[in-house]
Amino acid sequence: MSALVQPNPQQIAAVFGVIEPPPIHVECETFQGPLTTLFIMVRDHKVDLLGVPLGPICEAYLRYLLETTEPHLESHAVAVSALCYLLEKKAWMLIPIEQDEEPDDDGLFDEVEPYIHEFLPAIDDLLNRREDREHLFFRTGENSNVYELPFETSEVTSADLAKAFEKLLSKAKPDPPRPVSDQRRSLSEQIILVLKSLPDTPQALEEFVTGEFTRSEVVWWFLALLEIIRLGQASVTMDDGIVKFCKKQSRSAPA
Amino acid sequence: MRLVLALEALLFVADSPATPDELAKALGVPVFEVEEALEKLGGRLHHTSALQLVRIAGGYQVCTKPEFAEAIAKFTQPQTHKLSRSLMEVLAVVAYKQPITLAELDDVRGVDSGYGVRQLVERRLVCEIGRRSTPGRPILFGTTQQFLHAFNLQSLEDLPVVNFESDNLPKAIGMEHPPDQPSLLDQEENSPSGDASLV
Repeated sequence: MSALVQPNPQQIAAVFGVIEPPPIHVECETFQGPLTTLFIMVRDHKVDLLGVPLGPICEAYLRYLLETTEPHLESHAVAVSALCYLLEKKAWMLIPIEQDEEPDDDGLFDEVEPYIHEFLPAIDDLLNRREDREHLFFRTGENSNVYELPFETSEVTSADLAKAFEKLLSKAKPDPPRPVSDQRRSLSEQIILVLKSLPDTPQALEEFVTGEFTRSEVVWWFLALLEIIRLGQASVTMDDGIVKFCKKQSRSAPA
Repeated sequence: MRLVLALEALLFVADSPATPDELAKALGVPVFEVEEALEKLGGRLHHTSALQLVRIAGGYQVCTKPEFAEAIAKFTQPQTHKLSRSLMEVLAVVAYKQPITLAELDDVRGVDSGYGVRQLVERRLVCEIGRRSTPGRPILFGTTQQFLHAFNLQSLEDLPVVNFESDNLPKAIGMEHPPDQPSLLDQEENSPSGDASLV
Protein backbone atom coordinates (compact mmCIF):
# COMPACT_ATOMS: atom_id res chain seq x y z
CA MET A 1 0.00 0.00 0.00
CA SER A 2 1.35 3.42 -0.81
CA ALA A 3 0.32 6.61 0.89
CA LEU A 4 -2.21 8.05 -1.49
CA VAL A 5 -3.62 10.64 0.87
CA GLN A 6 -0.89 13.07 1.80
CA PRO A 7 -1.60 15.21 4.87
CA ASN A 8 -1.34 18.91 4.15
CA PRO A 9 1.08 21.19 6.08
CA GLN A 10 -1.71 22.45 8.34
CA GLN A 11 -2.54 18.90 9.38
CA ILE A 12 1.11 18.19 10.09
CA ALA A 13 1.47 21.40 12.08
CA ALA A 14 -1.64 20.53 14.10
CA VAL A 15 -0.16 17.16 15.02
CA PHE A 16 3.47 17.98 15.59
CA GLY A 17 3.29 21.61 16.68
CA VAL A 18 5.55 24.28 15.32
CA ILE A 19 8.55 22.01 14.74
CA GLU A 20 8.53 20.47 11.32
CA PRO A 21 9.20 16.72 11.33
CA PRO A 22 12.13 15.55 9.20
CA PRO A 23 11.34 14.01 5.79
CA ILE A 24 12.03 10.38 6.57
CA HIS A 25 10.93 8.16 3.72
CA VAL A 26 9.93 4.66 4.74
CA GLU A 27 9.47 1.73 2.45
CA CYS A 28 8.10 -1.67 3.29
CA GLU A 29 5.81 -4.24 1.72
CA THR A 30 2.64 -2.58 2.90
CA PHE A 31 3.52 1.10 3.08
CA GLN A 32 5.58 3.56 1.13
CA GLY A 33 5.79 7.21 2.06
CA PRO A 34 6.93 9.66 4.73
CA LEU A 35 6.98 8.66 8.40
CA THR A 36 4.74 11.64 9.15
CA THR A 37 2.06 10.31 6.82
CA LEU A 38 2.21 6.87 8.37
CA PHE A 39 1.89 8.37 11.84
CA ILE A 40 -1.17 10.46 10.93
CA MET A 41 -2.85 7.61 9.06
CA VAL A 42 -2.34 5.19 11.94
CA ARG A 43 -3.61 7.76 14.39
CA ASP A 44 -6.72 8.33 12.27
CA HIS A 45 -7.26 4.56 11.90
CA LYS A 46 -6.77 4.69 8.13
CA VAL A 47 -3.98 2.09 8.18
CA ASP A 48 -3.99 -1.22 9.99
CA LEU A 49 -0.75 -1.07 11.92
CA LEU A 50 -0.74 -4.84 12.44
CA GLY A 51 -0.03 -5.22 8.75
CA VAL A 52 2.89 -2.75 8.75
CA PRO A 53 6.29 -4.20 9.74
CA LEU A 54 8.06 -1.66 11.92
CA GLY A 55 11.58 -3.05 11.40
CA PRO A 56 12.15 -1.26 8.06
CA ILE A 57 10.73 1.94 9.53
CA CYS A 58 13.15 1.87 12.46
CA GLU A 59 15.97 1.23 9.97
CA ALA A 60 14.85 4.23 7.91
CA TYR A 61 14.99 6.41 11.02
CA LEU A 62 18.48 5.19 11.95
CA ARG A 63 19.63 5.72 8.36
CA TYR A 64 18.29 9.25 8.50
CA LEU A 65 20.22 9.88 11.75
CA LEU A 66 23.46 8.59 10.24
CA GLU A 67 23.07 10.53 7.03
CA THR A 68 22.10 13.85 8.56
CA THR A 69 25.01 16.25 8.41
CA GLU A 70 23.51 19.06 10.46
CA PRO A 71 21.86 17.53 13.51
CA HIS A 72 18.69 19.24 14.59
CA LEU A 73 17.74 17.86 17.99
CA GLU A 74 14.15 19.08 18.07
CA SER A 75 13.45 17.71 14.66
CA HIS A 76 14.97 14.35 15.66
CA ALA A 77 12.82 14.38 18.76
CA VAL A 78 9.65 14.83 16.74
CA ALA A 79 10.61 11.90 14.54
CA VAL A 80 11.45 9.64 17.46
CA SER A 81 8.15 10.58 19.16
CA ALA A 82 6.23 9.49 16.08
CA LEU A 83 8.23 6.27 15.91
CA CYS A 84 7.69 5.55 19.62
CA TYR A 85 3.97 6.10 19.18
CA LEU A 86 3.87 3.51 16.42
CA LEU A 87 5.98 1.04 18.40
CA GLU A 88 3.89 1.40 21.54
CA LYS A 89 0.62 1.16 19.68
CA LYS A 90 1.69 -1.96 17.87
CA ALA A 91 3.05 -3.51 21.06
CA TRP A 92 -0.33 -3.07 22.72
CA MET A 93 -2.08 -4.52 19.66
CA LEU A 94 0.11 -7.61 19.82
CA ILE A 95 -0.64 -8.36 23.44
CA PRO A 96 -3.31 -11.08 23.54
CA ILE A 97 -6.64 -10.01 25.00
CA GLU A 98 -7.48 -11.86 28.17
CA GLN A 99 -10.67 -13.87 28.04
CA ASP A 100 -13.01 -13.72 30.97
CA GLU A 101 -12.31 -16.64 33.20
CA GLU A 102 -15.10 -18.90 34.22
CA PRO A 103 -16.30 -18.23 37.74
CA ASP A 104 -14.76 -20.45 40.39
CA ASP A 105 -16.99 -22.98 41.97
CA ASP A 106 -15.26 -22.98 45.30
CA GLY A 107 -16.68 -19.55 46.18
CA LEU A 108 -13.31 -18.06 47.08
CA PHE A 109 -14.00 -14.90 45.13
CA ASP A 110 -17.68 -14.58 45.84
CA GLU A 111 -18.79 -11.00 46.04
CA VAL A 112 -19.44 -9.95 49.58
CA GLU A 113 -22.72 -8.31 50.39
CA PRO A 114 -22.24 -4.87 51.91
CA TYR A 115 -22.93 -4.92 55.61
CA ILE A 116 -22.65 -1.28 56.51
CA HIS A 117 -26.02 -1.55 58.28
CA GLU A 118 -24.23 -3.34 61.11
CA PHE A 119 -22.33 -0.12 61.81
CA LEU A 120 -25.45 2.00 62.25
CA PRO A 121 -25.49 1.85 66.08
CA ALA A 122 -21.80 2.77 66.10
CA ILE A 123 -22.38 5.68 63.72
CA ASP A 124 -25.20 6.99 65.88
CA ASP A 125 -23.03 6.69 68.97
CA LEU A 126 -20.19 8.55 67.28
CA LEU A 127 -22.56 11.31 66.18
CA ASN A 128 -23.78 11.69 69.76
CA ARG A 129 -20.23 11.83 71.01
CA ARG A 130 -19.40 14.44 68.39
CA GLU A 131 -22.36 16.51 69.50
CA ASP A 132 -21.30 16.31 73.15
CA ARG A 133 -17.73 17.11 72.21
CA GLU A 134 -18.84 20.31 70.47
CA HIS A 135 -19.85 21.61 73.89
CA LEU A 136 -16.31 21.31 75.21
CA PHE A 137 -13.75 23.96 74.39
CA PHE A 138 -10.04 23.36 74.72
CA ARG A 139 -7.12 25.70 74.74
CA THR A 140 -5.75 25.61 71.21
CA GLY A 141 -2.62 27.75 71.51
CA GLU A 142 -1.06 29.55 68.58
CA ASN A 143 -1.72 26.74 66.12
CA SER A 144 -5.46 27.15 66.40
CA ASN A 145 -5.93 26.24 62.76
CA VAL A 146 -3.87 23.09 62.91
CA TYR A 147 -6.86 20.89 62.23
CA GLU A 148 -8.43 23.18 59.68
CA LEU A 149 -7.68 23.66 56.01
CA PRO A 150 -4.69 25.97 55.64
CA PHE A 151 -6.37 28.25 53.11
CA GLU A 152 -8.58 31.05 54.29
CA THR A 153 -10.78 31.39 51.25
CA SER A 154 -14.21 31.90 52.85
CA GLU A 155 -16.70 31.17 50.08
CA VAL A 156 -14.05 30.94 47.36
CA THR A 157 -13.37 27.44 46.08
CA SER A 158 -10.19 26.13 44.50
CA ALA A 159 -12.07 26.05 41.18
CA ASP A 160 -12.68 29.81 41.48
CA LEU A 161 -8.99 30.38 42.11
CA ALA A 162 -8.09 28.24 39.10
CA LYS A 163 -10.52 30.23 36.94
CA ALA A 164 -8.98 33.54 38.03
CA PHE A 165 -5.54 32.12 37.28
CA GLU A 166 -6.59 30.91 33.82
CA LYS A 167 -8.08 34.30 33.03
CA LEU A 168 -4.80 36.03 33.81
CA LEU A 169 -2.83 33.34 32.02
CA SER A 170 -4.80 33.90 28.83
CA LYS A 171 -3.55 37.50 28.76
CA ALA A 172 0.10 36.50 29.13
CA LYS A 173 2.43 36.39 26.18
CA PRO A 174 4.32 33.24 25.18
CA ASP A 175 7.63 32.92 26.97
CA PRO A 176 10.67 33.99 25.01
CA PRO A 177 13.34 31.30 24.81
CA ARG A 178 15.70 31.66 27.75
CA PRO A 179 19.05 29.99 28.35
CA VAL A 180 19.09 27.08 30.77
CA SER A 181 21.60 28.86 32.99
CA ASP A 182 19.42 31.97 33.22
CA GLN A 183 18.97 33.15 36.79
CA ARG A 184 15.46 32.85 38.12
CA ARG A 185 13.77 34.66 40.96
CA SER A 186 13.35 32.45 44.05
CA LEU A 187 9.88 31.83 45.45
CA SER A 188 10.68 33.85 48.57
CA GLU A 189 11.77 36.78 46.41
CA GLN A 190 8.58 36.39 44.40
CA ILE A 191 6.52 36.30 47.61
CA ILE A 192 8.05 39.62 48.70
CA LEU A 193 7.25 41.09 45.30
CA VAL A 194 3.66 39.85 45.42
CA LEU A 195 3.21 41.07 48.99
CA LYS A 196 4.26 44.55 47.89
CA SER A 197 1.81 44.45 45.00
CA LEU A 198 -1.15 43.20 47.03
CA PRO A 199 -3.77 45.93 47.47
CA ASP A 200 -5.29 46.90 50.79
CA THR A 201 -8.81 46.64 49.41
CA PRO A 202 -10.06 43.57 47.51
CA GLN A 203 -9.17 43.68 43.83
CA ALA A 204 -9.29 41.19 40.96
CA LEU A 205 -5.99 39.70 39.78
CA GLU A 206 -6.02 41.69 36.52
CA GLU A 207 -6.31 44.95 38.42
CA PHE A 208 -3.10 44.64 40.35
CA VAL A 209 -1.08 42.48 37.97
CA THR A 210 -0.43 45.07 35.32
CA GLY A 211 2.07 45.62 32.55
CA GLU A 212 3.47 42.99 30.25
CA PHE A 213 4.15 39.51 31.55
CA THR A 214 4.90 36.06 30.23
CA ARG A 215 3.11 32.81 31.02
CA SER A 216 5.86 31.54 33.30
CA GLU A 217 5.80 34.85 35.17
CA VAL A 218 2.06 34.39 35.73
CA VAL A 219 2.56 30.86 37.03
CA TRP A 220 5.34 32.03 39.36
CA TRP A 221 3.22 34.96 40.48
CA PHE A 222 0.22 32.76 41.22
CA LEU A 223 2.28 30.20 43.16
CA ALA A 224 3.60 32.98 45.36
CA LEU A 225 0.06 34.28 45.89
CA LEU A 226 -1.16 30.83 46.95
CA GLU A 227 1.72 30.55 49.41
CA ILE A 228 0.83 33.96 50.86
CA ILE A 229 -2.78 32.86 51.28
CA ARG A 230 -1.60 29.69 52.99
CA LEU A 231 0.54 31.75 55.34
CA GLY A 232 -2.54 33.77 56.22
CA GLN A 233 -1.21 37.08 54.90
CA ALA A 234 -3.76 37.53 52.14
CA SER A 235 -7.54 37.37 52.08
CA VAL A 236 -9.60 36.03 49.22
CA THR A 237 -13.21 36.97 48.65
CA MET A 238 -15.81 36.43 45.96
CA ASP A 239 -17.60 39.51 44.68
CA ASP A 240 -20.15 39.19 41.86
CA GLY A 241 -18.47 36.02 40.65
CA ILE A 242 -15.01 37.64 40.60
CA VAL A 243 -12.30 36.36 42.90
CA LYS A 244 -10.65 39.28 44.68
CA PHE A 245 -7.46 39.40 46.71
CA CYS A 246 -6.14 41.83 49.27
CA LYS A 247 -3.69 42.08 52.13
CA LYS A 248 -4.99 40.56 55.32
CA GLN A 249 -5.59 43.27 57.86
CA SER A 250 -3.63 42.75 61.04
CA ARG A 251 -5.81 42.59 64.14
CA SER A 252 -3.32 44.64 66.10
CA ALA A 253 -3.24 47.39 63.51
CA PRO A 254 -4.46 50.73 64.81
CA ALA A 255 -7.92 51.70 63.71
CA MET B 1 -1.03 20.96 97.24
CA ARG B 2 1.84 22.52 95.36
CA LEU B 3 1.90 19.55 92.97
CA VAL B 4 -1.81 20.04 92.21
CA LEU B 5 -1.21 23.71 91.43
CA ALA B 6 1.79 22.87 89.29
CA LEU B 7 -0.29 20.35 87.36
CA GLU B 8 -3.00 22.94 86.86
CA ALA B 9 -0.39 25.31 85.43
CA LEU B 10 0.97 22.69 83.05
CA LEU B 11 -2.48 21.69 81.85
CA PHE B 12 -3.40 25.34 81.41
CA VAL B 13 -0.60 25.89 78.91
CA ALA B 14 -0.91 22.48 77.20
CA ASP B 15 -2.70 22.67 73.85
CA SER B 16 -2.95 18.89 73.48
CA PRO B 17 -3.63 16.01 75.87
CA ALA B 18 -0.76 15.38 78.28
CA THR B 19 -0.03 11.92 79.60
CA PRO B 20 0.81 11.30 83.26
CA ASP B 21 4.27 10.23 82.12
CA GLU B 22 4.90 13.55 80.39
CA LEU B 23 3.60 15.48 83.37
CA ALA B 24 5.68 13.44 85.82
CA LYS B 25 8.77 14.01 83.70
CA ALA B 26 8.18 17.76 83.62
CA LEU B 27 7.61 17.98 87.36
CA GLY B 28 10.28 15.47 88.36
CA VAL B 29 7.95 13.35 90.49
CA PRO B 30 6.79 9.72 90.25
CA VAL B 31 3.86 8.94 87.95
CA PHE B 32 1.65 7.65 90.79
CA GLU B 33 1.96 11.00 92.58
CA VAL B 34 0.90 12.78 89.41
CA GLU B 35 -2.11 10.49 89.07
CA GLU B 36 -3.15 11.18 92.65
CA ALA B 37 -2.73 14.91 92.14
CA LEU B 38 -4.71 14.76 88.90
CA GLU B 39 -7.58 13.18 90.81
CA LYS B 40 -7.48 15.97 93.37
CA LEU B 41 -7.28 18.60 90.65
CA GLY B 42 -10.23 17.05 88.83
CA GLY B 43 -12.31 17.13 92.01
CA ARG B 44 -11.40 20.72 92.80
CA LEU B 45 -12.16 21.97 89.30
CA HIS B 46 -15.44 20.08 89.29
CA HIS B 47 -16.66 21.96 92.35
CA THR B 48 -15.13 25.39 92.09
CA SER B 49 -14.29 26.19 88.47
CA ALA B 50 -15.76 26.82 85.05
CA LEU B 51 -13.13 24.40 83.78
CA GLN B 52 -12.98 20.64 84.09
CA LEU B 53 -10.31 18.00 83.78
CA VAL B 54 -11.03 15.39 81.11
CA ARG B 55 -9.33 12.23 79.94
CA ILE B 56 -9.21 12.44 76.20
CA ALA B 57 -7.14 11.00 73.34
CA GLY B 58 -4.80 9.13 75.64
CA GLY B 59 -4.06 11.98 78.05
CA TYR B 60 -5.43 14.65 80.33
CA GLN B 61 -6.56 18.08 79.26
CA VAL B 62 -8.42 21.00 80.77
CA CYS B 63 -11.52 22.24 78.99
CA THR B 64 -14.56 24.35 79.72
CA LYS B 65 -17.70 22.86 81.21
CA PRO B 66 -20.56 22.14 78.78
CA GLU B 67 -22.90 24.62 80.47
CA PHE B 68 -20.78 27.50 79.17
CA ALA B 69 -20.66 26.18 75.61
CA GLU B 70 -23.22 28.56 74.19
CA ALA B 71 -21.54 31.71 75.47
CA ILE B 72 -18.10 30.49 74.40
CA ALA B 73 -19.35 29.62 70.93
CA LYS B 74 -20.80 33.10 70.57
CA PHE B 75 -17.55 34.62 71.75
CA THR B 76 -15.05 32.55 69.76
CA GLN B 77 -17.25 31.73 66.75
CA PRO B 78 -15.43 28.48 66.00
CA GLN B 79 -15.40 27.04 62.49
CA THR B 80 -17.30 23.78 62.62
CA HIS B 81 -17.23 21.22 59.86
CA LYS B 82 -20.18 18.89 59.83
CA LEU B 83 -19.53 15.31 58.88
CA SER B 84 -22.01 13.96 56.36
CA ARG B 85 -23.65 10.59 56.82
CA SER B 86 -21.44 8.99 54.16
CA LEU B 87 -18.29 10.34 55.80
CA MET B 88 -19.50 9.01 59.14
CA GLU B 89 -19.97 5.59 57.53
CA VAL B 90 -16.42 5.59 56.22
CA LEU B 91 -15.06 6.82 59.53
CA ALA B 92 -16.95 4.20 61.53
CA VAL B 93 -15.72 1.37 59.32
CA VAL B 94 -12.12 2.61 59.52
CA ALA B 95 -12.39 3.00 63.29
CA TYR B 96 -13.66 -0.55 63.82
CA LYS B 97 -11.80 -2.39 61.11
CA GLN B 98 -8.44 -0.66 61.11
CA PRO B 99 -6.00 -1.25 59.60
CA ILE B 100 -8.14 -1.42 56.48
CA THR B 101 -7.57 -0.95 52.75
CA LEU B 102 -9.71 1.08 50.41
CA ALA B 103 -10.91 -2.06 48.62
CA GLU B 104 -12.07 -3.57 51.89
CA LEU B 105 -13.89 -0.37 52.77
CA ASP B 106 -15.66 -0.52 49.41
CA ASP B 107 -16.65 -4.12 50.15
CA VAL B 108 -18.16 -3.21 53.50
CA ARG B 109 -20.08 -0.21 52.18
CA GLY B 110 -20.93 -1.57 48.75
CA VAL B 111 -19.96 1.77 47.17
CA ASP B 112 -16.77 3.60 46.31
CA SER B 113 -15.18 5.17 49.40
CA GLY B 114 -12.19 6.95 47.84
CA TYR B 115 -13.67 10.42 48.12
CA GLY B 116 -14.71 9.86 51.72
CA VAL B 117 -11.28 8.65 52.72
CA ARG B 118 -9.62 11.66 51.06
CA GLN B 119 -11.96 14.00 52.92
CA LEU B 120 -11.25 12.32 56.23
CA VAL B 121 -7.50 12.38 55.58
CA GLU B 122 -7.77 16.10 54.85
CA ARG B 123 -9.57 16.59 58.15
CA ARG B 124 -6.89 14.53 59.89
CA LEU B 125 -9.37 12.04 61.25
CA VAL B 126 -7.89 9.21 59.19
CA CYS B 127 -4.34 8.64 57.99
CA GLU B 128 -2.16 6.12 56.22
CA ILE B 129 -0.66 3.73 58.73
CA GLY B 130 1.26 1.44 56.43
CA ARG B 131 0.89 -0.96 53.58
CA ARG B 132 -0.36 -4.53 53.56
CA SER B 133 2.21 -7.07 52.44
CA THR B 134 0.00 -8.52 49.72
CA PRO B 135 0.27 -8.08 45.95
CA GLY B 136 -0.04 -4.42 45.07
CA ARG B 137 0.91 -3.42 48.62
CA PRO B 138 -2.37 -1.57 49.21
CA ILE B 139 -2.38 1.37 51.62
CA LEU B 140 -3.75 0.66 55.08
CA PHE B 141 -5.79 3.35 56.77
CA GLY B 142 -6.44 3.95 60.44
CA THR B 143 -7.79 6.65 62.71
CA THR B 144 -5.66 9.43 64.19
CA GLN B 145 -5.25 11.01 67.58
CA GLN B 146 -7.36 13.86 66.24
CA PHE B 147 -10.22 11.35 65.74
CA LEU B 148 -10.10 10.43 69.43
CA HIS B 149 -10.06 14.10 70.35
CA ALA B 150 -12.89 15.07 68.01
CA PHE B 151 -15.15 12.31 69.33
CA ASN B 152 -14.26 12.67 72.98
CA LEU B 153 -12.68 9.23 73.23
CA GLN B 154 -9.90 8.24 75.57
CA SER B 155 -8.83 5.36 73.32
CA LEU B 156 -10.27 3.10 70.65
CA GLU B 157 -11.40 0.77 73.42
CA ASP B 158 -14.03 3.36 74.29
CA LEU B 159 -15.83 2.74 71.00
CA PRO B 160 -19.21 1.10 71.59
CA VAL B 161 -19.26 -2.65 71.13
CA VAL B 162 -20.70 -3.76 67.81
CA ASN B 163 -21.65 -7.39 67.23
CA PHE B 164 -20.81 -8.14 63.63
CA GLU B 165 -22.44 -11.15 62.07
CA SER B 166 -19.38 -13.22 61.29
CA ASP B 167 -20.99 -14.70 58.15
CA ASN B 168 -21.06 -11.29 56.57
CA LEU B 169 -17.42 -10.58 57.11
CA PRO B 170 -15.52 -10.46 53.84
CA LYS B 171 -12.71 -12.96 53.62
CA ALA B 172 -10.19 -10.21 53.08
CA ILE B 173 -11.07 -8.52 56.31
CA GLY B 174 -9.95 -9.88 59.58
CA MET B 175 -9.07 -8.24 62.83
CA GLU B 176 -5.38 -8.68 62.16
CA HIS B 177 -4.55 -6.24 64.89
CA PRO B 178 -6.62 -5.36 67.91
CA PRO B 179 -8.19 -1.93 67.70
CA ASP B 180 -6.08 -0.61 70.52
CA GLN B 181 -2.92 -0.53 68.47
CA PRO B 182 -0.17 1.97 69.23
CA SER B 183 -0.98 5.63 68.96
CA LEU B 184 -1.26 6.64 65.35
CA LEU B 185 0.10 10.05 66.21
CA ASP B 186 3.40 8.39 67.04
CA GLN B 187 3.39 6.77 63.64
CA GLU B 188 2.70 10.09 62.02
CA GLU B 189 5.69 11.56 63.75
CA ASN B 190 7.85 8.69 62.62
CA SER B 191 6.76 8.94 59.02
CA PRO B 192 9.40 10.20 56.57
CA SER B 193 7.40 13.31 55.72
CA GLY B 194 6.74 14.03 59.35
CA ASP B 195 3.04 14.28 58.67
CA ALA B 196 1.49 11.10 57.40
CA SER B 197 -2.00 12.49 57.41
CA LEU B 198 -1.31 14.85 54.56
CA VAL B 199 -1.56 12.47 51.69
